[in-house]
Amino acid sequence: MADESLLSDDLLRQLVAVGHVDILVGIPTLNNATTVVEVVRAAQAGIGKYFPRARSVIFNADSGSDDGTPALVRDATTDDTGTVTASRPLRTTQRITTPYHGLPGKGSALRMIFAVADLLSADAVVVLDPDVTSVEPEWIPALVRPVLSSEAEIVAPLYSRAVSDGPLVTQLLRPLVRAAYGWRLQEPLMGEFGCSRRFAGHCLDRPSWGGGAMSDGVDLWMTGEALANGFRPSQTALGPRLLAHARKRPGLPDVFQQVMEAVSVCLEAHAGYWLTRGPAEPVPCTGALPGAVELGARPDVTGMAEAFRRDVVALHPVLATILSKATLGGVSAAAAAPGPLVYSDELWAATVFESLIAYHRAVMTREHVTQSLLPLYLGRTASFLLQYGSSGPAVVYDALESLGQAFERAKPQAAAQWKKA
Amino acid sequence: MSDDDPLWYKDAVIYQLHVKTFFDSDSDGVGDFKGLTSKLDYLEGLGVNTLWLLPTFPSPFRDDGYDIADYYSIHPMYGTMDDFKTFLAAAHDRGLRVVTELVLNHTSDKHPWFQEARSSRDNPRRDWYVWSDTDDRYRGVRIIFLDTETSNWAWDPVSKQYYWHRFFSHQPDLNYDNPEVRDEMWRVMEFWAGLGVDGFRVDAVPYLVEREGTTCEGMPETHEVIRFLRSQLDAHFPGRMLLAEANQVPELVRPYFGNGDEFHMAFHFPLMTRMFMATRLEDRGPLTDIIRRTPALPDTCQWAVFLRNHDELTLEMVTPEEREFMYDEYARDPVARLNLGIRRRLAPLLDGDRRRVELMNGLLMSLPGSPIVYYGDEIGMGDNVYLGDRNGVRTPMQWSGGWNGGFSSADPERLAFAMISNPVYGYQAVNVLAQERTGHSLLNWMRRLIRVRRSTRVFSRGTLTLLDPPNQRVLAYVRAYEREQVLVVNNLAGTVQAVELDLSSLAGAIPVEMFGQSLFPRIGTEPYLLTLGPHAFYWFRLRRL
Repeated sequence: MADESLLSDDLLRQLVAVGHVDILVGIPTLNNATTVVEVVRAAQAGIGKYFPRARSVIFNADSGSDDGTPALVRDATTDDTGTVTASRPLRTTQRITTPYHGLPGKGSALRMIFAVADLLSADAVVVLDPDVTSVEPEWIPALVRPVLSSEAEIVAPLYSRAVSDGPLVTQLLRPLVRAAYGWRLQEPLMGEFGCSRRFAGHCLDRPSWGGGAMSDGVDLWMTGEALANGFRPSQTALGPRLLAHARKRPGLPDVFQQVMEAVSVCLEAHAGYWLTRGPAEPVPCTGALPGAVELGARPDVTGMAEAFRRDVVALHPVLATILSKATLGGVSAAAAAPGPLVYSDELWAATVFESLIAYHRAVMTREHVTQSLLPLYLGRTASFLLQYGSSGPAVVYDALESLGQAFERAKPQAAAQWKKA
Repeated sequence: MSDDDPLWYKDAVIYQLHVKTFFDSDSDGVGDFKGLTSKLDYLEGLGVNTLWLLPTFPSPFRDDGYDIADYYSIHPMYGTMDDFKTFLAAAHDRGLRVVTELVLNHTSDKHPWFQEARSSRDNPRRDWYVWSDTDDRYRGVRIIFLDTETSNWAWDPVSKQYYWHRFFSHQPDLNYDNPEVRDEMWRVMEFWAGLGVDGFRVDAVPYLVEREGTTCEGMPETHEVIRFLRSQLDAHFPGRMLLAEANQVPELVRPYFGNGDEFHMAFHFPLMTRMFMATRLEDRGPLTDIIRRTPALPDTCQWAVFLRNHDELTLEMVTPEEREFMYDEYARDPVARLNLGIRRRLAPLLDGDRRRVELMNGLLMSLPGSPIVYYGDEIGMGDNVYLGDRNGVRTPMQWSGGWNGGFSSADPERLAFAMISNPVYGYQAVNVLAQERTGHSLLNWMRRLIRVRRSTRVFSRGTLTLLDPPNQRVLAYVRAYEREQVLVVNNLAGTVQAVELDLSSLAGAIPVEMFGQSLFPRIGTEPYLLTLGPHAFYWFRLRRL
């Protein structure tokens, strides 16, 4: 049930006018004036082209933009985009933009989107990131069809990634979610996703909505909620995911902190599920991904490796509190070894799990655990890029698959330690 | 006629009927003018004020009478010319105007004109039709009857040339580049107008003149022919009306009104299609779109609007996606599809849903234009798609649950078309007699609807201003004429709807619901909240007291 105080009377009046919809496209915004119009156009064109008979609404939950984003959403038209001239839906695609109050962040916006989907009895919900510049009309059917056909209740994206793209996902979250939740989901941080009304209603009913991890880590939390509660997942190929460069983003330390916090929240919330979950199952995929293109400057691998070597020495006393002797020994040996840095899959899997258990046990402040893990993450990433940075997609795929298997092998012991803690 | 208003057609509520299948007075299985005359009280009681008759000329009936073999007679199976005159006088006595068919574009190939024309290439009538040594002239011109014709040319083995036909190959097109043809058609009009016919429904108007390199539709020379006929009619029979059948989008139909010097009326085909589309989509978009696209007309002109008629529900003027949607929603059974359309009557199209039938009729009677009720639709008659061509919507009128539905006392096997006899729409279940005896029957509801429609000129002559409530399932508009205003609110959806209307420009008015005379709260400057049941509609007369 939607929270009674969540929706303003004005919004409710607009929803009364919209009524039941087949498809709801939610766009959470905060000062996205430079990119949001294309996202709205793509959504509208996708509905018109692929679901011309659908009752649909594009719902924008805005967190108080001062750059005119809501007006741009309201006024965005498809008339002047040549690619979508033949994409006129038979039914009117309604458009609502509304401010939301309370804690800023994507979590609050998603909560409002889910509440609206619940009230409008939307058969399928799609959430699009307003910052994405590579969005295409085809993303709408890709995210909607598995839900409408009841093949899935949560549709995660598949992005084309270059080997150096998104190491937080490829080196940490993907293998961790695979091992813990038992699903081989490629993109646990669902920047864009589709879901069923049942899943939206489920999330809405959770008591966990709030600040902190629920604000910054809501993407991962939703993934965990879906997997831990039996909502059938699927993955759909969307292609490259390009973000607007203009926006100022938090630095790696902050992002890493947010991710670790989110991971911890999820593992604690879903311990009853993941501690007993067996080997990972494949997640059905639809569509095919085009080859990835290297975007922007390649990471400074040498710098990352140097930071790793330096910080392992400097942080040794702290790491000794977090990691087991064997793992710390492995990390220290890797840091001390001459030649190209090698941080093996097994060692990295043990590092991550042990750090999370330390985080869970609160052997020290959580920030310190995170700060200690960050250089190890840099070392692992540098190691991977040194080894596979010039490899073809198939080799990289196999390497990441090996990493996932290593995490799966490490899981039983980690689960046992978690339970003891 | 006592009413000598030259703009009478603006206030017309037209009833379209087929004499052939309306009432058979002489038990030969075919309706006739004596039968029709005996049913005029029924039509007067229904509340209509104009009758439009399908063709009653001598014909080989390969196109149900639209293939005319003699323009100056009544087919004997319909009676005599005296029977027609008697009918006409009786109709006029009841205040009913009569509109007959004028098929200008083509004749039957059995018409003596064509028989003469084909007899030799130098026959004086030869140039009354369009001939060619080859079949590649006017290449690219669309074929209208796609299901039966493969070319607009047909080979005449007698005179060994091709002749042009836009419809069936047994309907050769007349050649309006020949002034003799034009003059002859004026004599036809003069003949019938002289008998007292009040108007002509002119068939297939756009196709009169052909020109190479064009669509052969709506040529400037076609408009010259129309202006000639109109000027003749005005000069000799003022107050008579011309109604155009031009199956095109309103922007392209607009030229047929000219500057008020061509047609008085023309059918609004897309409005019909979009009423069906909007109610199935439960979205007013298709209707508001076509209303906004409909151009203004000269003051003396009027649209003719309808839900169903003797032809298929045309889907020519929709996008492929829209056509597919319409087929899926209204003609899942492919046998119901014909050409680019659907050959069904109103009630079966709407699954016999009384609420939807009422909503559609409510739209018909409240949107701009003179409404046309197709015979039998006022009682919810069904159809028989297995009769071939469009005959399935031309089955005999169902007057009672008795022998042949009260249409004829002939042997059932002798009827022009078999009666509808299935358990849902058959004459035993759906007939005038039963519905006359039931207060809440569709027939009695239609009588009330037409009475309310005719109680004011705001619907027939008023302006229309669309409202734009946020609820897309609701179509609302204000009709205004002189000092009168009517607010119309339609729920296009099959579910209950709430709608907030911005009526601030009408602040102070008191809405009075026109069917029950119920008062509603005074309109203020705040949004006016209404709730509507499934497919419900309201007509509010706005009073300022």
